[in-house]
Formats: sequence, C-alpha cells, structure tokens
Amino acid sequence: MTATAALPTTALAGLLLAMADDEFVIGFSDSEWTGIAPLLEEDVAMSSLAQDEIGHAAALYGLLAELTATDPDAIAYDREPGEYRHCRLLDHGRGDWAMTIARRYLYDTADSVRLDALVGGSWTPLAELVGKLVREERYHLMHAGTWLDRLARTDGEARDRLLAALADLGPDAATVFTPLPDEPALLDAGIIAADSAELERRWRAAIAPTFGRLDLPMPPAAREPERGRQDHGQEFRWLWGEFTMVRRSDPGAIW
Amino acid sequence: MSTDESAAAAPATPVLEAWEVFRREKDGDPMRHGGSVMAPDAELAIHYARELYGRRQESVRLWVVRRDDILDLDDPDLLQPPLDRSFKKPGGYVMRDKLAAAREQSGQAKPKARSK
Repeated sequence: MTATAALPTTALAGLLLAMADDEFVIGFSDSEWTGIAPLLEEDVAMSSLAQDEIGHAAALYGLLAELTATDPDAIAYDREPGEYRHCRLLDHGRGDWAMTIARRYLYDTADSVRLDALVGGSWTPLAELVGKLVREERYHLMHAGTWLDRLARTDGEARDRLLAALADLGPDAATVFTPLPDEPALLDAGIIAADSAELERRWRAAIAPTFGRLDLPMPPAAREPERGRQDHGQEFRWLWGEFTMVRRSDPGAIW
Repeated sequence: MSTDESAAAAPATPVLEAWEVFRREKDGDPMRHGGSVMAPDAELAIHYARELYGRRQESVRLWVVRRDDILDLDDPDLLQPPLDRSFKKPGGYVMRDKLAAAREQSGQAKPKARSK
C-alpha cells in the first residue's frame, strides 16, 4: 500500500461513494425483475447480474468504510435519499424491459470506461478490486449488448420501446461522468488516469460504432451536468423506501 | 382479447428451443451433460448456459448444443440385442455361470475368500 500521507482521503472517499452508490442502485433496481423477467432463463440471468452489482457495491462500501473508519451497512442504508451520490441516469426506474436494457447498456458501457481508468491506479486496494470488477463486468457488457442489439433490430414494438427508453434516458446518460468533488487531487495522486470530461469522450467514442450500426440516436450532452449526482427525484425516493425498509423496521438490530 | 388483436399488438413471439449443456468441472475431467436451457437462439443460449451452469465457478468449459442437432439413437434392436453379447466385452465371456456349473458337476464347493 502506498504511503497514506499523500492520500487525498476526501476526494478518494467521494470517488468510492459515487461508484458504490451507482452499483448499489442499479443492482437493487434490476433485482426487481426477479420472478417477472421475460423468460425463466432471463430471470436467472438478470437476477444474477443484479446480485453481482450488489456484490460490487458491498466491496466498494467496504473500502470506503475502511478509509473513513465507518460501517459499510450504515453507509449503504442509513443515509437520507438526498445524500446518495449515484448518477441521475439511475434515478430512472426499471420501467419496461427496453428501459431496463437501455439503462443497463448506457451504464455498463460508461462504468467500463471508468473502471479502465482506475486499473493500475496508485491506491492499491482500489486498483486490486477494480482488476476483479473488470472481469465480471465483461459478461455484463455482453449481456446488455446482446439485448440492445436484438431490441434495436426487431422492428415494431421492440424497437419503438427501445427508442422511447433512449429518448427518456439520453439527457441523463452522461451523468455517470459528473465531475467528482476535488477531482484534480485524484489525478495528481495517480488514483484515476483521466478526468471526467476525458472519460466521457472515451465513452462516446466507445458506443458510437454500436449506435451507428443500429441507427440509434447518440445520447445528448447531460442536462445540468454539474448536478448529475444530486437532486434524486421521486422514483429514487420510492426505491430508497424499498431498500431501507427492513433496516429501518428495527434500527440497530444485529442480523 | 381476440387472437387477432393480440397478434397485432405483440411482435412475433420468438420460438424457444431446447439447448443441451455439457460442462467440464475442472481441467482434465471429461465433458459431462449438465442439463438444458430454453433460448430463442444460439447467442442467448450461451448466455443462459453460463448463468445456469457456470456462474458459481462450477465449470471451466461449457458446450451448448441445439437439442434438434443431436443425432438420437435409442433402437433396442441395435443397442440391447437379445442374445448374449458378453464375448464382445473387454472382460470376455461371463465365466461365473460356467464355473458354477463345472463345480457342481465335480462336486467341489465354491472356494472361500482367502483369509489373508
């Protein structure tokens, strides 16, 4: 582990919180398909992906808890809805299957660009974890890409629903790359290899061939980009109520 | 809802097919039949095979085969012919019955298992 003297703890905590909240929220939201996915096999697949994301969130909350000497469960469950730092893309509920696929494709491609910029970073605990996450996310990308492809190429209801989902999500898609608080400190310390603006350029370059081939509209620039990880709306408040319900039913209980 | 209406409202339902999944548990093991998945095409069949037979790190390799592509043979005349075919087995004739008959003829008892 590198010397902690030079570690920009606050900036690093902000990065970990943003990543963990992203994984936690999409994982929990996608888990709502358990039991009602389009077919049994897909039900297993989507539930397994959702579980993976919750696992990634747990690992990231764990690092954050060690860094800040707090409790990972408390970070995950004991905040008010306004204190979560996931991107606004994930404030959109799971919607229909096309919405879930579009959200997952946009998020997974963006997350993949972000992870690639963290591989080999100077803070060993995160760099090591990211090395593992990247391997699991490969399958997530395959799954989302397969479904995006088939919805886009099936004229009629499938393509119409996908286009509607992309129109709805588009203006929030790039919020994954909302600049983090004190981002320059992360760059200076070598924890992340590029700033948010550069990561967004890489992401757009990465998805452009697919969007071109499938004749889909590229996501526009994010609206209110500086507030992309704040102002969570009513849909997230509902989800928050769901995922904190058991914890709030008996505060402090040991499970 | 009439069938005409539902046909107009929904795109053609993809036909699900059965795919057989074979898995290798660890390097050096043979491929063994694991089970099957239902999927509309090869691409999703691979995904679902991975989810159902590989996501817990229980496999190092999977083979996924469309069930209809399997050549099936279960003709008892070919596989279970009625005559004694034991002479075709690696161990040769089954000797047990012949030995018993020879012992009976000579009045010898069946030798006991060696005590040491």
